[in-house]
Amino acid sequence: MSLALALLRRLAGTALTLLVTSFLVFSSLYLAPGDPVSFLVRGRSPNPAELAAIRRQFGFDQPFLLRYWHWLDAAAHGDFGRSYLFHENVAAVIGARLPASLLLVTVATVLIAVVGIGAGGLGALRRGSRTDGAVLLMVTVGAAIPSFAAAILLRSVFGVKLGWFPTIGNGSGLLDQLHHVLLPAVALSVTFMALVTRVTRSSMIDQLGREHVEVALSRGAPRLAVLRRHVLRNALGPIVTVSGLLVSGMLVSTAIVETAFGMSGIGSLLVQCVDQLDFQVVQALVLLVVAAFVLVNTAVDLLYPLIDPRVARKETR
Amino acid sequence: MTRPRRAALAALAGVFALTSCSGTAKPGPSTDAAAYQLTDRTAPGGELDSFTWSLFAEPVSIDYALSFDYPPNTVLANVCESLLRWNPDLTTSPGLATAFTNPTPTTWVYTIREGVHFHDGAPLTAEDVVASLRRNLDPAVGSDWAYPFRNVKSVEKTGPMQVTVTLNTPDATFNEYLAAAPGTVESAAALQAAGKDYGNPSKGVDCTGPFSFAGWTPGQSITLKRYDDYWDKSLRAKAKQVKFVFLPDATARVNAFQSGEVDGGWMVPADSYKQLGASAKGRLYYGRSTTVADEVVSNLQGPLGDARVRQALLMAIDRKGIVKAGVGGVGEVADALVTRNNWNNSPKDTVDSLLGGLKQYPYDPAKAKELAASAGVNGQKVVIASSPLDSQSTIITQAVQQAATAIGLKPEIDSISPDKYTALFTDPAARKGIDLFETFWYTSITDPLDMYGSLQTGAFSNYGNWSDPQFDAALNEAVGAADPAARATATAKAQQIAMDQLPWLPLYTEPVSVFLGNRITGLQPSIDYLYYPWAATVGAKG
Repeated sequence: MSLALALLRRLAGTALTLLVTSFLVFSSLYLAPGDPVSFLVRGRSPNPAELAAIRRQFGFDQPFLLRYWHWLDAAAHGDFGRSYLFHENVAAVIGARLPASLLLVTVATVLIAVVGIGAGGLGALRRGSRTDGAVLLMVTVGAAIPSFAAAILLRSVFGVKLGWFPTIGNGSGLLDQLHHVLLPAVALSVTFMALVTRVTRSSMIDQLGREHVEVALSRGAPRLAVLRRHVLRNALGPIVTVSGLLVSGMLVSTAIVETAFGMSGIGSLLVQCVDQLDFQVVQALVLLVVAAFVLVNTAVDLLYPLIDPRVARKETR
Repeated sequence: MTRPRRAALAALAGVFALTSCSGTAKPGPSTDAAAYQLTDRTAPGGELDSFTWSLFAEPVSIDYALSFDYPPNTVLANVCESLLRWNPDLTTSPGLATAFTNPTPTTWVYTIREGVHFHDGAPLTAEDVVASLRRNLDPAVGSDWAYPFRNVKSVEKTGPMQVTVTLNTPDATFNEYLAAAPGTVESAAALQAAGKDYGNPSKGVDCTGPFSFAGWTPGQSITLKRYDDYWDKSLRAKAKQVKFVFLPDATARVNAFQSGEVDGGWMVPADSYKQLGASAKGRLYYGRSTTVADEVVSNLQGPLGDARVRQALLMAIDRKGIVKAGVGGVGEVADALVTRNNWNNSPKDTVDSLLGGLKQYPYDPAKAKELAASAGVNGQKVVIASSPLDSQSTIITQAVQQAATAIGLKPEIDSISPDKYTALFTDPAARKGIDLFETFWYTSITDPLDMYGSLQTGAFSNYGNWSDPQFDAALNEAVGAADPAARATATAKAQQIAMDQLPWLPLYTEPVSVFLGNRITGLQPSIDYLYYPWAATVGAKG
């Protein structure tokens, strides 16, 4: 199978995934209890004619499939509609909050990768030692700390008591933003770090026990080279898979951390818009997240053959 | 009318406050009647470059027609002005109108102030006033303030600087509402230019207040700049800039006060009164308010349809206990659905004689049980809707549940999400199967009619569809009365009926709370901050 064809198939798959998801989300919002009109009229008691006008204005009077079609048609042209909650175009609403979330997730990802693989590797190499014990303890404790608890702890110690970090806001300028985002990123990634550490540790222990590794080591092959070429490389498969899933899921699990640190990102935006039935924003956000999910997993899939040549051979066979 | 949304947004803040273990306020040993005192004004401040203020939520718009909630009005009060002005002592004085007359009961004539300029430099004209007021009548705008304008027939320019509003029926409250957001005057040209983007983060607003709109970073902050050509020299802003930051998490807000990142904020979480009262970073003040915590009876078809059961329920609620445990003693048991402050515009001697004879419901569970039994209460189910708004809401719910049990009802608590809680105030379908829910109801004008009008037969906020012909008659008489004393008498009669029949159960009044960091001073703590340019007087300390 040629590379072009494989790529085409993947693209088609992505498009289909997005289409199906958009339909599912559209229908689930349609079926959700509560009437968006009741939010639109807020403290007023409009007469039936006014209600009908509002319904017409927002297209609530059209049949479901037609509404979906209109939305899909506009979305295909890059128009995701207008948020009735924020009185702005959806693209502007999301665009204003996306960079903060991306930075948060990126920093968290780096933390997860560095700490997770580092600590996991250390534990595997020193298996049974005190260091390994410490790593295992860290993993157990880390996995048990929900992000909101970590957020409170970090905020009160490093923000309020020590005053090293700001407790609120996104910051401006890259350095200031990093300064603002570090505590939230740690709070967000504690559990995930523990998870990746555990996967790394067990995966590397598994590889360390393999015959070819033991043979290479006993024959006096350079330890570092063996670790890099045979142990880490073979262990990377599960690590990358788990990390990919975690990262793409993180984009929307940021709401609690964002709120705790007074940041505005798409996590809290999603919660707010779901609660207030702001269809347009929710729809666009879900698509965005699904796209990110597909993208990250595609990247993982593309990385796989590089890590493990056997996969590449299987695919071209 | 009111503030469904306060419950809403404060609610959202509360959920996170709970997850962050802010804890519930415990009844302190030292909570007594002198737990707090009201402050009229703090020491005047000097010139200041900038200060930062917290909002518990981001406004969805600062279009005055869509501003009917604490966050947008807190900001907008400093940027846009109304024809009349609501002062810190809750009296009303001229604003963008220098005078008004009421030649016939249904005609109100306003003289527009000369020499006022919008932030873009254009002069204020009668056309601007007409265009601004008419938006409250336009279904396409969907103004939150359509209710105060319900009796308006037309808004016309009747002179170079004169605007006349004609009503369908006499309504003295219409004129009073012009001191709040419904009386806001925006430049007609700005309205035209911004179109449906008016008041959103990219377009903002262009008004006449002491501050101008300088920028809005969605999700983060709104910045205002001092307007140097402001017409009222006595309220020229001391600060060059104000930055409003959105902090939905109550604990994050308190932390930001404590770390000095934020200089202050209105509506301090009740469970932080103690902590902030003892803060080294600033001071906590309490001010005049029109807020009453009520338990709304939203179903009169069930056991609560009998007035005796409602009376028994109120008698069985330990309201002193709620004030002590829920708000650390910062509040008073309420004897009506409005505060005494709401009567400030009525002749004082009339008021004293009028409000004396209100029916009281002192805490007496035994007597309450007897009364309920005589009304046939015998283990009927009542559903209390509740949402983890904040610690005081939780304590109110528990107290009401206890009281319902004490008089022989079988209370059931229905916990719903904060945003669904908001829907209780707007969506009859959401209220289905709910007998009771709580609210913190404030009035946007000093007049008690603002509250009692919402209990009239068929009114939007009459959630239990309560109806009493005598109450309606008294209310109609009050709304149509031009003479303040006559209006007060008729309103007091309506209040008397409401307190006998208890369509809602009054729980307690609470003052406005505000935290001021050590850098700033000059604020006048009062609920008028929703419509009065309160930030103008805030300046540097020392």
